[in-house]
Formats: sequence, C-alpha cells, structure tokens
Amino acid sequence: MSIVTLDPTTGFGSSEAFPLAPRPATLRGQVLGVIANGLGDSEIMFDAISDALCDTDGLAGVTKIVKPSVAVPPLPAQWDEILVSATVAITGFGGCGSCSTRSMRDALDLEAAGIPAVCIVHSALEPAVRAMARLVGADDYPVIVIDYPHNPTAMWTKEEAAELAAQVVDAVRLRLTR
Amino acid sequence: MTFSSDEHVFDTFEDALEGQFDLGVTDGLPVIPPTPERVRAMLDAAGIAPDAVLGEVPTRDVIVTAEKVACNAVMAGCLPEYFPVVVASVRAVLQPKANAHSTTATLAGAAHAVIVNGPVRHEIGVHGGQAAFGPGFRANATIGRALRLVIRNVFRTVPGVLDRASFSWPLRYSFCFAEDQESTGWTPLHVQLGYDLDDSLVTVQSVMRLFQITEFAPGCEDILTTTYEIARHMGLQRDDWAGDERSVVLVIGPEHSRRLIAEGWTKESVAEWLWPRLNADTIGKYDQKVTLASPANILIVTAGGPGIAQSWWLIPHLAVAASEKVVQG
Repeated sequence: MSIVTLDPTTGFGSSEAFPLAPRPATLRGQVLGVIANGLGDSEIMFDAISDALCDTDGLAGVTKIVKPSVAVPPLPAQWDEILVSATVAITGFGGCGSCSTRSMRDALDLEAAGIPAVCIVHSALEPAVRAMARLVGADDYPVIVIDYPHNPTAMWTKEEAAELAAQVVDAVRLRLTR
Repeated sequence: MTFSSDEHVFDTFEDALEGQFDLGVTDGLPVIPPTPERVRAMLDAAGIAPDAVLGEVPTRDVIVTAEKVACNAVMAGCLPEYFPVVVASVRAVLQPKANAHSTTATLAGAAHAVIVNGPVRHEIGVHGGQAAFGPGFRANATIGRALRLVIRNVFRTVPGVLDRASFSWPLRYSFCFAEDQESTGWTPLHVQLGYDLDDSLVTVQSVMRLFQITEFAPGCEDILTTTYEIARHMGLQRDDWAGDERSVVLVIGPEHSRRLIAEGWTKESVAEWLWPRLNADTIGKYDQKVTLASPANILIVTAGGPGIAQSWWLIPHLAVAASEKVVQG
C-alpha cells in the first residue's frame, strides 16, 4: 500500500515576472537615495559613491537614511523620505546574512515603487541575495559585487572604503541608467 | 478537513522515510513522514484549522499556516498533545520584534530557545530539571526541533541559501526547556510577565551566545559578580530597532538558587543587583556594557539539576524575547 505525505514547505520563487523601474538616460538632475544598513564602515563607501556621482554625473542631490538595525526595513518615515525625494537609489551593504537579503529586498521594494535601484553586496552573500530575488520572481536582478580581499562585514579602513567606492561607481551608474 | 499542501506518494514506509531526505526537508536526521492522518491529529489536538494563519515572516512575504507547522511538528516527532506549544512558539517567533528574518538568516547562526512555563509543562512532560537543555526528553527535543524545521521548511531558511550561518551550532537542532517553577518558590517567569499562575506560556529568545556561569564560591555576591562579569566579557550593544524591549535570559541552576534563596534573594532583587553592573560603561575589549533598559530586561528562569554550581546566560541576536500563551484545543 502506498504512503502519501504532505509537503512541509512553502515553496520558493514566483512565477510572475518582476517588473523593473524604468531607468533614466543619465544621472544628471537625479536625486540619489541611499538606504544604508549601517554595517561596519560601509557608510564611508556610500558617502564616497554619492560624492563621486555628484561631482561627475551632476546629481541634483542625495537623500541618505540609515536603518535602525541591519536587517529590518526602513522605518515608515525613512521610507517616505526616500519615496518623496529619490529618483534613483542604492542599498546595502550586503555583507552579512540577514542584512544582505534585507538590503536586496529594499532594492526590490524600491523597484516596485518605481525607483531604479541597485544593491551592493559582498561575493560571500551573493547566493543569499540571489535567493531573495528569486522569491519575488526577479531571478536575474543585477547586483554589484565586492569581492575578497575586502572582508564581507565591512570592517574596512577609511582608505579601503574609499577605494571600494571608486571601484564600484561606474557599475552603479550603469545599473541605474538605461 | 482538507489540506492545500502538495502530496508525495511513496511505495513503502522506508521509501517515505528516505524520500524526505530527497525532498531536502530534514535537518539531517530522519523525520517522521507527515501523512495526512498524522497532520490531522496534530491540528485536532490544538483545535486549529489547517488554513489558520499563525503569522508572516518579515522581508520574505511568507504566510505561515497551521497546516505547514503541523507537517513539521509531525516530522520532528511531536505527539499531538505537544502541538499547542509548537503553535505558541511559532506565533512568538513571528511577532514583529522577534525579528524572524534577521535571527534566521544571520551569519551568527542564532538559535531559538523555547522556554515553557505553566501547567502544560507537567501535562505533556516538558522537562526543566536535571539535564534540562537535553538531550533525553521527548517533549523538549521534539518541540524545539519542530520550531527549527518550521524555520527551515516554512520560513525558507535553508543552509547556504537564506540561512547564512558561518558555523551554525548544535542548539539549532533543538533547544526547548521548562522553567522548574516548583523548586525555588520564586515567582515564575510567566507570572512576572503578567500572566496568571494557571496560564501556560511559551517564551522564545533568540540565542546568539550561550555563556556558562560556573562559580563554586558560597557567597551570593561572588556568584552574582561572576555572573555579570561573564556577560560583560563580550557585552551587548544597543540595537535601535529592538530598543528598550531587548532582554537577556539568565537561567539559574539549583546550586546557585539554593544559596541565593538562603540569603533572601529573589528574582527581582537579583535583577536589581545585576542591572547597574551589567549596564555600566565599557571599560575594555573584554569588559563591555550589556545594554539593557531596566532590571526587568533580565529575564530570570530556574532550571537544571543539582551538582555543579552553574547557571547560564542566553544572549540574544537583534531581537526581543517574545511570549505567547499556549491555547489548548
């Protein structure tokens, strides 16, 4: 006699394609939103990216929020501040298990709200953020990956954080424009 | 009673047993195949419908239903009468401030301690005495395991995917124990939290660190000094999101509680004495502030057996200890 068992999982992934927000042609005149999770010294990198894009790409401004914990959504007031002012956005830093996946979710939530976004993660956490993207059907959602020898948890020197910003700024521009 | 879960069909019981490994739904140990009959018995024991929603996993958009939790309770080896405690533990960990996404995806590999208070301990045999942290006691082992299987299979926390624990640790197989309320005469945790003595309560604390406090000195201030010094070894930084609700759990063993009671200490006076010493400013790398809003944020429970003069700290991840009343069907 056969034995029937019930599947104990909730499944994984979405069959519906996840629509990305339309990209501007350039960053000139755009306002960059930064949803930072405060991990390690990653804010230094985000500030340097923001400064570089203001200087070279003519951003109209930057709105940065730092979440109250590394792996939670922005507070409602922080989210409103980003939605009201930002026209493109970056999130991160994805350097730990829960914060990387939450930062990926922040980026996906921004896309759903019509704001082009990109999440900056460490290569050690790339499988996690890919899984988070699959959950909502955004399997091929691009991310910007920082690799070793830089440590995942953003315990960086100031010089290292600035160097990383210089490394990724072109990729940020590429991901946020068409 | 109808179920919404997909069905898997096997030729034999052995195939069903091995098939759960093939499906990728075990913790590495064999599980009881979750047949519809067994799942139904779980749900009946709690008087809960399969589609009842127990909560939502933040960040992941996962709705957790009683049916899925019952499947995992069966797999863990729970008896049906344990299921109300499993349901309460899942509801607790899904309270927003319990931060279920963070505590289950973290590199730090946080475990979850399920602490049971009230009459249900005796009714189903949740053990709080000798060797309370296990192994050896079916209710403890399977209730704790059921929560972990729910975290894996329902919350989608698979190692290497959304579970990012660098090492993980054995407490994540199962960690459930009861407060030994009767041996001290101290106010039980659930009464301290505002529940009636006749209520049964589950409190779930995320556990990022488990510190042993071994102090053989007879003096109570010696015991308590060692207690706070060990917690301060690594400290506890403030987390703005968890805020003033964040707590630590102190499990006091009988060799310590016996001495404290003999000198007139209560849970409340122990917490009052410890709190300013824990909360004092950081002095050095291994003498760090344990940031707690008040003495009430030191949740004291009594458990364990006689012998070694020992107690334990359960230090949380970025989450608040969450309690849920056990509702029996």
